[in-house]
Amino acid sequence: MSQGLTAIVEGLPYILPGIGVTMSVVAGALSMGLLLGLILSVLQVYGTRPIRRLVGIYVWFFRGIPLLVLLFLFYFGILASLQIELSPFTVSVIVLGLISSAYQSQILRGAILSLPEGQLKAARAIGMSDSKAIGFIILPQALRLAIPGWTNEYTIIMKDSAVTYALGVAEIMARCNHVASRTYQHFWLYILAGLIFLALTYIGTKIFHFVEEKVAIKGYAR
Amino acid sequence: MIAEAGPVLKVQNIRKRYGKHEILKGISLELNKGDIKCVVGPSGSGKSTLLHCINFLVQFDEGRIWMNGEEIDNHSKQALYVFRQKVGMIFQDFNLFDHLTALRNVQIALVRVKKMSKTAARRRALAELERVGMKDHVKKYPAELSGGQKQRVSIARALAMDPEVMLLDEPTSALDPELIGEVHSVIRDLASGGMTMILVTHEFGFAGALAKEILFMEEGVILEQGPPEKILSNAECERTREFCGKINRLHEGTG
Repeated sequence: MSQGLTAIVEGLPYILPGIGVTMSVVAGALSMGLLLGLILSVLQVYGTRPIRRLVGIYVWFFRGIPLLVLLFLFYFGILASLQIELSPFTVSVIVLGLISSAYQSQILRGAILSLPEGQLKAARAIGMSDSKAIGFIILPQALRLAIPGWTNEYTIIMKDSAVTYALGVAEIMARCNHVASRTYQHFWLYILAGLIFLALTYIGTKIFHFVEEKVAIKGYAR
Repeated sequence: MIAEAGPVLKVQNIRKRYGKHEILKGISLELNKGDIKCVVGPSGSGKSTLLHCINFLVQFDEGRIWMNGEEIDNHSKQALYVFRQKVGMIFQDFNLFDHLTALRNVQIALVRVKKMSKTAARRRALAELERVGMKDHVKKYPAELSGGQKQRVSIARALAMDPEVMLLDEPTSALDPELIGEVHSVIRDLASGGMTMILVTHEFGFAGALAKEILFMEEGVILEQGPPEKILSNAECERTREFCGKINRLHEGTG
Protein backbone atom coordinates (compact mmCIF):
# COMPACT_ATOMS: atom_id res chain seq x y z
CA MET A 1 0.00 0.00 0.00
CA SER A 2 2.75 2.42 0.90
CA GLN A 3 4.30 1.71 -2.47
CA GLY A 4 0.97 2.55 -4.07
CA LEU A 5 0.77 5.82 -2.17
CA THR A 6 4.31 6.67 -3.08
CA ALA A 7 3.53 6.04 -6.74
CA ILE A 8 0.52 8.30 -6.51
CA VAL A 9 2.32 11.09 -4.68
CA GLU A 10 5.27 10.97 -7.03
CA GLY A 11 3.02 10.66 -10.05
CA LEU A 12 0.68 13.50 -9.15
CA PRO A 13 2.73 16.39 -10.55
CA TYR A 14 2.64 14.55 -13.87
CA ILE A 15 -0.98 13.39 -13.61
CA LEU A 16 -2.71 16.57 -12.44
CA PRO A 17 -2.08 18.61 -15.62
CA GLY A 18 -4.11 15.86 -17.30
CA ILE A 19 -7.18 17.38 -15.64
CA GLY A 20 -6.64 20.51 -17.71
CA VAL A 21 -6.38 18.44 -20.87
CA THR A 22 -9.50 16.43 -20.03
CA MET A 23 -11.41 19.60 -19.19
CA SER A 24 -10.33 21.22 -22.46
CA VAL A 25 -11.49 18.23 -24.47
CA VAL A 26 -14.82 18.20 -22.62
CA ALA A 27 -15.36 21.96 -22.82
CA GLY A 28 -14.48 22.00 -26.52
CA ALA A 29 -16.70 19.03 -27.35
CA LEU A 30 -19.65 20.32 -25.32
CA SER A 31 -19.48 23.80 -26.86
CA MET A 32 -19.17 22.45 -30.35
CA GLY A 33 -21.98 20.01 -29.62
CA LEU A 34 -24.15 22.82 -28.29
CA LEU A 35 -23.64 25.04 -31.30
CA LEU A 36 -24.28 22.25 -33.81
CA GLY A 37 -27.01 20.68 -31.66
CA LEU A 38 -28.86 23.98 -31.47
CA ILE A 39 -28.89 24.33 -35.25
CA LEU A 40 -29.79 20.67 -35.74
CA SER A 41 -32.66 20.77 -33.25
CA VAL A 42 -34.22 23.85 -34.84
CA LEU A 43 -33.85 22.28 -38.29
CA GLN A 44 -35.37 19.05 -37.10
CA VAL A 45 -38.37 20.70 -35.47
CA TYR A 46 -39.10 23.47 -37.96
CA GLY A 47 -37.39 22.29 -41.14
CA THR A 48 -38.99 20.88 -44.26
CA ARG A 49 -39.35 17.14 -44.56
CA PRO A 50 -36.09 16.53 -46.51
CA ILE A 51 -34.17 18.63 -43.98
CA ARG A 52 -35.72 16.78 -41.07
CA ARG A 53 -34.74 13.51 -42.71
CA LEU A 54 -31.14 14.66 -43.21
CA VAL A 55 -30.89 15.63 -39.56
CA GLY A 56 -32.35 12.25 -38.67
CA ILE A 57 -29.62 10.49 -40.66
CA TYR A 58 -26.92 12.61 -39.02
CA VAL A 59 -28.22 11.77 -35.55
CA TRP A 60 -28.55 8.10 -36.41
CA PHE A 61 -24.96 8.03 -37.69
CA PHE A 62 -23.26 9.74 -34.77
CA ARG A 63 -25.33 8.04 -32.10
CA GLY A 64 -24.93 4.63 -33.63
CA ILE A 65 -21.16 4.23 -33.99
CA PRO A 66 -18.89 3.66 -30.98
CA LEU A 67 -16.64 6.55 -30.04
CA LEU A 68 -13.49 4.48 -30.43
CA VAL A 69 -14.45 3.43 -33.95
CA LEU A 70 -15.14 7.05 -34.94
CA LEU A 71 -11.88 8.27 -33.41
CA PHE A 72 -9.83 5.69 -35.32
CA LEU A 73 -11.86 6.22 -38.47
CA PHE A 74 -11.20 9.95 -38.40
CA TYR A 75 -7.63 9.88 -37.24
CA PHE A 76 -6.17 6.87 -38.99
CA GLY A 77 -8.69 6.61 -41.81
CA ILE A 78 -10.04 9.86 -43.19
CA LEU A 79 -7.34 12.29 -42.12
CA ALA A 80 -4.54 9.94 -43.12
CA SER A 81 -5.95 9.24 -46.56
CA LEU A 82 -6.61 12.94 -47.18
CA GLN A 83 -3.13 13.68 -45.82
CA ILE A 84 -4.49 16.26 -43.42
CA GLU A 85 -2.50 16.67 -40.23
CA LEU A 86 -4.44 17.37 -37.07
CA SER A 87 -3.33 16.72 -33.52
CA PRO A 88 -4.96 13.88 -31.60
CA PHE A 89 -6.36 16.54 -29.27
CA THR A 90 -8.12 18.40 -32.10
CA VAL A 91 -9.47 15.21 -33.60
CA SER A 92 -10.78 14.14 -30.19
CA VAL A 93 -12.59 17.43 -29.67
CA ILE A 94 -14.12 17.28 -33.14
CA VAL A 95 -15.26 13.66 -32.91
CA LEU A 96 -16.63 14.02 -29.38
CA GLY A 97 -18.27 17.31 -30.47
CA LEU A 98 -19.97 15.66 -33.43
CA ILE A 99 -21.27 12.82 -31.28
CA SER A 100 -22.40 15.23 -28.59
CA SER A 101 -24.17 17.41 -31.15
CA ALA A 102 -26.31 14.43 -32.11
CA TYR A 103 -27.30 13.87 -28.47
CA GLN A 104 -27.69 17.55 -27.65
CA SER A 105 -29.91 18.09 -30.68
CA GLN A 106 -32.29 15.51 -29.25
CA ILE A 107 -32.17 17.04 -25.76
CA LEU A 108 -33.09 20.40 -27.26
CA ARG A 109 -35.66 18.98 -29.64
CA GLY A 110 -37.44 17.44 -26.67
CA ALA A 111 -37.30 20.75 -24.84
CA ILE A 112 -38.69 22.69 -27.81
CA LEU A 113 -41.49 20.19 -28.33
CA SER A 114 -42.45 20.32 -24.67
CA LEU A 115 -43.28 24.03 -24.88
CA PRO A 116 -46.97 24.84 -25.33
CA GLU A 117 -47.69 25.51 -29.01
CA GLY A 118 -49.39 28.74 -27.98
CA GLN A 119 -45.97 30.31 -27.41
CA LEU A 120 -45.10 30.20 -31.09
CA LYS A 121 -48.63 31.21 -32.06
CA ALA A 122 -48.59 34.24 -29.80
CA ALA A 123 -45.18 35.29 -31.13
CA ARG A 124 -46.45 35.03 -34.70
CA ALA A 125 -49.64 36.85 -33.77
CA ILE A 126 -47.70 39.96 -32.74
CA GLY A 127 -45.92 39.99 -36.08
CA MET A 128 -42.70 38.14 -35.29
CA SER A 129 -41.07 36.26 -38.12
CA ASP A 130 -40.43 32.59 -37.43
CA SER A 131 -36.74 33.20 -36.84
CA LYS A 132 -37.47 35.97 -34.32
CA ALA A 133 -40.07 33.82 -32.60
CA ILE A 134 -37.60 30.96 -32.32
CA GLY A 135 -34.74 33.19 -31.21
CA PHE A 136 -36.55 35.36 -28.68
CA ILE A 137 -39.43 33.21 -27.46
CA ILE A 138 -38.81 29.51 -28.09
CA LEU A 139 -35.09 29.00 -27.51
CA PRO A 140 -34.79 31.04 -24.30
CA GLN A 141 -37.39 28.75 -22.78
CA ALA A 142 -36.15 25.55 -24.39
CA LEU A 143 -32.57 26.18 -23.27
CA ARG A 144 -33.73 26.39 -19.67
CA LEU A 145 -35.63 23.13 -19.98
CA ALA A 146 -32.59 21.47 -21.54
CA ILE A 147 -30.30 22.01 -18.54
CA PRO A 148 -31.11 18.73 -16.74
CA GLY A 149 -30.43 16.87 -19.99
CA TRP A 150 -27.19 18.73 -20.43
CA THR A 151 -26.05 17.81 -16.94
CA ASN A 152 -26.36 14.23 -18.04
CA GLU A 153 -24.60 14.92 -21.33
CA TYR A 154 -21.72 16.58 -19.47
CA THR A 155 -21.11 13.51 -17.32
CA ILE A 156 -21.22 11.23 -20.35
CA ILE A 157 -18.78 13.31 -22.38
CA MET A 158 -16.53 13.63 -19.34
CA LYS A 159 -16.29 9.87 -19.04
CA ASP A 160 -16.06 9.28 -22.78
CA SER A 161 -13.13 11.66 -22.99
CA ALA A 162 -11.01 8.96 -21.36
CA VAL A 163 -11.24 6.99 -24.59
CA THR A 164 -9.19 9.65 -26.39
CA TYR A 165 -6.25 8.09 -24.57
CA ALA A 166 -6.28 5.61 -27.43
CA LEU A 167 -5.16 8.37 -29.81
CA GLY A 168 -2.45 9.44 -27.38
CA VAL A 169 -4.13 12.50 -25.91
CA ALA A 170 -2.34 13.17 -22.62
CA GLU A 171 -5.45 13.32 -20.49
CA ILE A 172 -6.06 11.87 -17.02
CA MET A 173 -6.38 8.23 -18.02
CA ALA A 174 -3.33 8.33 -20.29
CA ARG A 175 -1.17 9.85 -17.57
CA CYS A 176 -2.38 7.46 -14.86
CA ASN A 177 -1.73 4.56 -17.18
CA HIS A 178 1.72 5.86 -17.92
CA VAL A 179 2.64 6.11 -14.25
CA ALA A 180 1.06 2.70 -13.59
CA SER A 181 3.15 0.93 -16.18
CA ARG A 182 6.31 2.52 -14.83
CA THR A 183 5.60 1.76 -11.15
CA TYR A 184 3.50 -1.40 -11.54
CA GLN A 185 0.95 0.13 -9.14
CA HIS A 186 -1.97 -0.26 -11.54
CA PHE A 187 -4.57 -0.77 -8.84
CA TRP A 188 -3.77 2.49 -7.05
CA LEU A 189 -3.41 4.59 -10.15
CA TYR A 190 -6.67 3.44 -11.68
CA ILE A 191 -8.36 4.21 -8.37
CA LEU A 192 -6.82 7.65 -8.60
CA ALA A 193 -8.10 8.06 -12.18
CA GLY A 194 -11.56 6.99 -11.05
CA LEU A 195 -11.54 9.41 -8.14
CA ILE A 196 -10.48 12.32 -10.34
CA PHE A 197 -13.33 11.61 -12.77
CA LEU A 198 -15.77 11.25 -9.87
CA ALA A 199 -14.68 14.63 -8.54
CA LEU A 200 -14.96 16.28 -11.96
CA THR A 201 -18.44 14.92 -12.66
CA TYR A 202 -19.50 15.90 -9.13
CA ILE A 203 -18.28 19.47 -9.45
CA GLY A 204 -19.73 19.76 -12.94
CA THR A 205 -23.20 18.56 -11.98
CA LYS A 206 -23.16 20.96 -9.00
CA ILE A 207 -22.39 23.84 -11.35
CA PHE A 208 -25.17 22.78 -13.73
CA HIS A 209 -27.66 22.57 -10.85
CA PHE A 210 -26.59 26.01 -9.70
CA VAL A 211 -27.12 27.45 -13.17
CA GLU A 212 -30.46 25.64 -13.43
CA GLU A 213 -31.72 27.34 -10.28
CA LYS A 214 -30.17 30.66 -11.22
CA VAL A 215 -32.01 30.92 -14.55
CA ALA A 216 -35.27 29.32 -13.40
CA ILE A 217 -38.34 31.37 -14.28
CA LYS A 218 -39.92 32.87 -11.18
CA GLY A 219 -43.04 31.14 -9.97
CA TYR A 220 -42.75 28.63 -12.78
CA ALA A 221 -43.16 25.20 -11.26
CA ARG A 222 -43.58 22.04 -13.26
CA MET B 1 -63.84 62.55 -38.93
CA ILE B 2 -62.32 60.72 -41.84
CA ALA B 3 -64.85 59.47 -44.34
CA GLU B 4 -65.63 55.77 -44.11
CA ALA B 5 -63.62 54.16 -46.84
CA GLY B 6 -65.00 50.65 -47.03
CA PRO B 7 -64.41 47.81 -44.61
CA VAL B 8 -61.29 47.64 -42.44
CA LEU B 9 -61.32 43.89 -42.73
CA LYS B 10 -62.98 41.78 -45.35
CA VAL B 11 -63.00 38.01 -45.28
CA GLN B 12 -64.33 36.11 -48.25
CA ASN B 13 -65.28 32.48 -48.58
CA ILE B 14 -62.80 30.93 -46.17
CA ARG B 15 -62.64 27.18 -46.36
CA LYS B 16 -60.57 24.91 -44.20
CA ARG B 17 -60.50 21.17 -43.98
CA TYR B 18 -58.61 18.81 -41.73
CA GLY B 19 -58.42 15.54 -43.62
CA LYS B 20 -61.93 14.66 -44.64
CA HIS B 21 -63.58 16.95 -42.16
CA GLU B 22 -64.42 20.39 -43.42
CA ILE B 23 -64.17 22.80 -40.47
CA LEU B 24 -65.02 26.00 -42.34
CA LYS B 25 -67.35 25.81 -45.29
CA GLY B 26 -66.97 29.17 -46.90
CA ILE B 27 -67.15 31.93 -44.30
CA SER B 28 -67.42 35.57 -45.36
CA LEU B 29 -67.66 38.67 -43.23
CA GLU B 30 -66.86 42.35 -43.25
CA LEU B 31 -65.90 44.71 -40.49
CA ASN B 32 -66.18 48.46 -40.79
CA LYS B 33 -64.22 50.72 -38.53
CA GLY B 34 -65.56 50.47 -34.99
CA ASP B 35 -67.68 47.40 -35.72
CA ILE B 36 -67.96 44.77 -33.05
CA LYS B 37 -69.15 41.37 -34.12
CA CYS B 38 -69.63 38.46 -31.80
CA VAL B 39 -69.43 34.89 -32.98
CA VAL B 40 -71.41 32.36 -30.97
CA GLY B 41 -72.14 28.71 -31.50
CA PRO B 42 -71.47 25.25 -30.13
CA SER B 43 -67.99 23.84 -29.57
CA GLY B 44 -66.44 22.46 -32.71
CA SER B 45 -68.43 24.77 -34.94
CA GLY B 46 -65.21 26.35 -36.25
CA LYS B 47 -65.35 29.70 -34.41
CA SER B 48 -61.86 29.49 -33.08
CA THR B 49 -60.44 28.12 -36.33
CA LEU B 50 -62.05 31.05 -38.14
CA LEU B 51 -60.21 33.58 -35.97
CA HIS B 52 -56.96 31.69 -36.42
CA CYS B 53 -57.48 31.67 -40.18
CA ILE B 54 -58.20 35.38 -40.29
CA ASN B 55 -54.79 35.98 -38.71
CA PHE B 56 -53.16 33.33 -40.95
CA LEU B 57 -52.11 31.40 -37.86
CA VAL B 58 -53.89 28.48 -39.48
CA GLN B 59 -53.41 28.03 -43.22
CA PHE B 60 -56.75 27.83 -44.97
CA ASP B 61 -57.47 26.02 -48.21
CA GLU B 62 -59.55 28.63 -49.96
CA GLY B 63 -60.56 32.19 -49.37
CA ARG B 64 -59.27 35.75 -49.52
CA ILE B 65 -58.71 38.46 -46.95
CA TRP B 66 -58.45 42.21 -47.41
CA MET B 67 -57.38 44.88 -45.00
CA ASN B 68 -58.37 48.45 -45.87
CA GLY B 69 -59.08 47.35 -49.41
CA GLU B 70 -55.73 45.68 -49.91
CA GLU B 71 -55.64 41.94 -50.35
CA ILE B 72 -53.22 40.03 -48.15
CA ASP B 73 -50.87 37.89 -50.18
CA ASN B 74 -50.49 34.77 -48.09
CA HIS B 75 -47.52 33.60 -50.14
CA SER B 76 -45.48 36.54 -48.94
CA LYS B 77 -44.20 35.95 -45.42
CA GLN B 78 -43.32 39.61 -45.15
CA ALA B 79 -46.90 40.60 -45.97
CA LEU B 80 -48.17 38.26 -43.26
CA TYR B 81 -45.79 39.71 -40.66
CA VAL B 82 -46.99 43.21 -41.46
CA PHE B 83 -50.65 42.17 -41.48
CA ARG B 84 -50.39 40.37 -38.15
CA GLN B 85 -48.95 43.46 -36.53
CA LYS B 86 -52.19 45.25 -37.37
CA VAL B 87 -54.39 42.46 -36.05
CA GLY B 88 -54.35 41.95 -32.30
CA MET B 89 -55.08 38.41 -31.21
CA ILE B 90 -56.30 37.41 -27.77
CA PHE B 91 -56.20 33.72 -26.95
CA GLN B 92 -58.37 31.67 -24.68
CA ASP B 93 -55.35 30.49 -22.71
CA PHE B 94 -53.51 33.85 -22.79
CA ASN B 95 -50.25 32.54 -24.25
CA LEU B 96 -48.09 35.02 -22.42
CA PHE B 97 -44.39 34.40 -22.92
CA ASP B 98 -43.59 32.44 -19.79
CA HIS B 99 -39.95 33.52 -19.50
CA LEU B 100 -40.69 37.25 -19.60
CA THR B 101 -42.16 39.63 -17.03
CA ALA B 102 -45.47 41.33 -17.76
CA LEU B 103 -43.56 44.41 -18.85
CA ARG B 104 -41.23 42.50 -21.16
CA ASN B 105 -44.15 40.57 -22.62
CA VAL B 106 -45.60 43.85 -23.85
CA GLN B 107 -42.26 45.40 -24.68
CA ILE B 108 -40.66 42.64 -26.72
CA ALA B 109 -42.55 43.05 -29.97
CA LEU B 110 -42.13 46.80 -29.83
CA VAL B 111 -38.35 46.34 -29.69
CA ARG B 112 -37.95 43.27 -31.90
CA VAL B 113 -40.70 43.85 -34.46
CA LYS B 114 -41.38 47.57 -34.46
CA LYS B 115 -37.71 48.36 -33.81
CA MET B 116 -38.51 50.93 -31.16
CA SER B 117 -35.75 51.94 -28.74
CA LYS B 118 -35.82 50.09 -25.43
CA THR B 119 -36.76 53.22 -23.49
CA ALA B 120 -39.57 54.22 -25.83
CA ALA B 121 -40.86 50.65 -25.88
CA ARG B 122 -40.73 50.52 -22.11
CA ARG B 123 -42.69 53.74 -21.80
CA ARG B 124 -45.30 52.50 -24.24
CA ALA B 125 -45.54 49.11 -22.55
CA LEU B 126 -46.03 50.73 -19.15
CA ALA B 127 -48.78 52.94 -20.56
CA GLU B 128 -50.60 49.95 -22.03
CA LEU B 129 -50.27 47.98 -18.82
CA GLU B 130 -51.67 50.92 -16.91
CA ARG B 131 -54.57 51.09 -19.33
CA VAL B 132 -55.57 47.52 -18.45
CA GLY B 133 -55.05 48.11 -14.74
CA MET B 134 -51.84 46.12 -14.42
CA LYS B 135 -49.51 48.91 -13.42
CA ASP B 136 -48.69 47.34 -10.05
CA HIS B 137 -47.72 43.98 -11.52
CA VAL B 138 -45.35 44.90 -14.34
CA LYS B 139 -42.37 43.10 -12.79
CA LYS B 140 -44.21 39.84 -12.26
CA TYR B 141 -43.80 36.73 -14.38
CA PRO B 142 -46.87 35.05 -15.91
CA ALA B 143 -46.68 32.23 -13.38
CA GLU B 144 -47.12 34.80 -10.61
CA LEU B 145 -50.31 36.27 -12.10
CA SER B 146 -53.94 35.19 -11.89
CA GLY B 147 -55.79 34.21 -15.05
CA GLY B 148 -57.57 37.53 -15.26
CA GLN B 149 -54.31 39.40 -14.83
CA LYS B 150 -52.63 37.29 -17.50
CA GLN B 151 -55.42 38.01 -19.93
CA ARG B 152 -55.18 41.73 -19.24
CA VAL B 153 -51.43 41.62 -19.91
CA SER B 154 -52.10 39.80 -23.16
CA ILE B 155 -54.56 42.52 -24.14
CA ALA B 156 -51.94 45.15 -23.34
CA ARG B 157 -49.45 43.22 -25.45
CA ALA B 158 -51.82 43.31 -28.41
CA LEU B 159 -52.76 46.96 -27.90
CA ALA B 160 -49.14 48.08 -27.85
CA MET B 161 -48.91 47.16 -31.52
CA ASP B 162 -51.65 49.68 -32.40
CA PRO B 163 -53.88 47.07 -34.02
CA GLU B 164 -56.63 48.10 -36.40
CA VAL B 165 -58.64 45.02 -35.58
CA MET B 166 -58.73 42.80 -32.51
CA LEU B 167 -59.65 39.12 -32.63
CA LEU B 168 -60.69 37.76 -29.25
CA ASP B 169 -60.98 34.01 -28.99
CA GLU B 170 -63.09 33.23 -25.91
CA PRO B 171 -61.04 35.60 -23.77
CA THR B 172 -62.78 34.68 -20.52
CA SER B 173 -63.65 31.03 -20.90
CA ALA B 174 -60.53 29.82 -19.09
CA LEU B 175 -61.13 32.14 -16.14
CA ASP B 176 -62.64 31.67 -12.72
CA PRO B 177 -66.07 33.32 -12.65
CA GLU B 178 -64.74 35.89 -10.20
CA LEU B 179 -62.09 37.06 -12.64
CA ILE B 180 -64.28 37.42 -15.73
CA GLY B 181 -65.48 40.87 -14.75
CA GLU B 182 -62.05 42.52 -14.82
CA VAL B 183 -61.38 41.25 -18.34
CA HIS B 184 -64.86 42.20 -19.53
CA SER B 185 -64.40 45.71 -18.26
CA VAL B 186 -61.14 46.05 -20.23
CA ILE B 187 -62.88 44.82 -23.38
CA ARG B 188 -65.75 47.22 -22.74
CA ASP B 189 -63.25 50.07 -22.52
CA LEU B 190 -61.80 49.03 -25.86
CA ALA B 191 -65.26 49.01 -27.37
CA SER B 192 -66.08 52.46 -26.13
CA GLY B 193 -62.73 53.62 -27.50
CA GLY B 194 -63.94 52.56 -30.94
CA MET B 195 -61.85 49.42 -31.41
CA THR B 196 -62.90 47.18 -34.27
CA MET B 197 -63.33 43.66 -32.92
CA ILE B 198 -64.43 40.12 -33.56
CA LEU B 199 -65.25 38.36 -30.31
CA VAL B 200 -65.87 34.66 -29.98
CA THR B 201 -67.70 34.04 -26.73
CA HIS B 202 -70.28 32.06 -24.83
CA GLU B 203 -71.12 35.02 -22.60
CA PHE B 204 -74.39 36.05 -24.18
CA GLY B 205 -75.15 38.90 -21.84
CA PHE B 206 -71.79 40.45 -22.52
CA ALA B 207 -72.00 39.83 -26.27
CA GLY B 208 -75.50 41.28 -26.45
CA ALA B 209 -74.51 44.46 -24.67
CA LEU B 210 -71.36 44.93 -26.72
CA ALA B 211 -71.97 43.83 -30.27
CA LYS B 212 -73.83 45.40 -33.11
CA GLU B 213 -74.13 42.06 -34.74
CA ILE B 214 -74.11 38.46 -33.59
CA LEU B 215 -73.09 35.64 -35.89
CA PHE B 216 -74.33 32.18 -35.06
CA MET B 217 -72.01 29.52 -36.38
CA GLU B 218 -72.51 25.81 -36.61
CA GLU B 219 -70.59 23.10 -38.48
CA GLY B 220 -68.47 25.57 -40.36
CA VAL B 221 -71.17 27.88 -41.66
CA ILE B 222 -72.74 31.08 -40.39
CA LEU B 223 -76.33 29.90 -39.94
CA GLU B 224 -77.73 33.27 -39.04
CA GLN B 225 -76.58 36.76 -38.30
CA GLY B 226 -78.21 39.92 -37.07
CA PRO B 227 -78.59 42.30 -34.17
CA PRO B 228 -78.24 40.73 -30.71
CA GLU B 229 -81.86 41.15 -29.65
CA LYS B 230 -82.91 39.13 -32.66
CA ILE B 231 -80.32 36.34 -32.64
CA LEU B 232 -80.12 35.81 -28.91
CA SER B 233 -83.82 35.73 -28.11
CA ASN B 234 -85.84 35.75 -31.30
CA ALA B 235 -83.93 33.95 -34.03
CA GLU B 236 -85.52 32.90 -37.29
CA CYS B 237 -83.53 29.72 -37.63
CA GLU B 238 -84.73 26.97 -35.36
CA ARG B 239 -81.26 25.65 -34.57
CA THR B 240 -80.15 29.14 -33.51
CA ARG B 241 -83.22 29.47 -31.29
CA GLU B 242 -82.57 26.12 -29.71
CA PHE B 243 -78.89 26.85 -28.96
CA CYS B 244 -79.48 30.37 -27.71
CA GLY B 245 -82.44 29.25 -25.66
CA LYS B 246 -80.33 26.65 -23.89
CA ILE B 247 -77.58 29.12 -23.07
CA ASN B 248 -80.05 31.74 -21.92
CA ARG B 249 -81.78 29.28 -19.61
CA LEU B 250 -78.41 28.18 -18.27
CA HIS B 251 -77.56 31.75 -17.35
CA GLU B 252 -80.96 32.42 -15.82
CA GLY B 253 -80.52 29.23 -13.81
CA THR B 254 -77.16 30.24 -12.43
CA GLY B 255 -77.70 33.94 -12.21
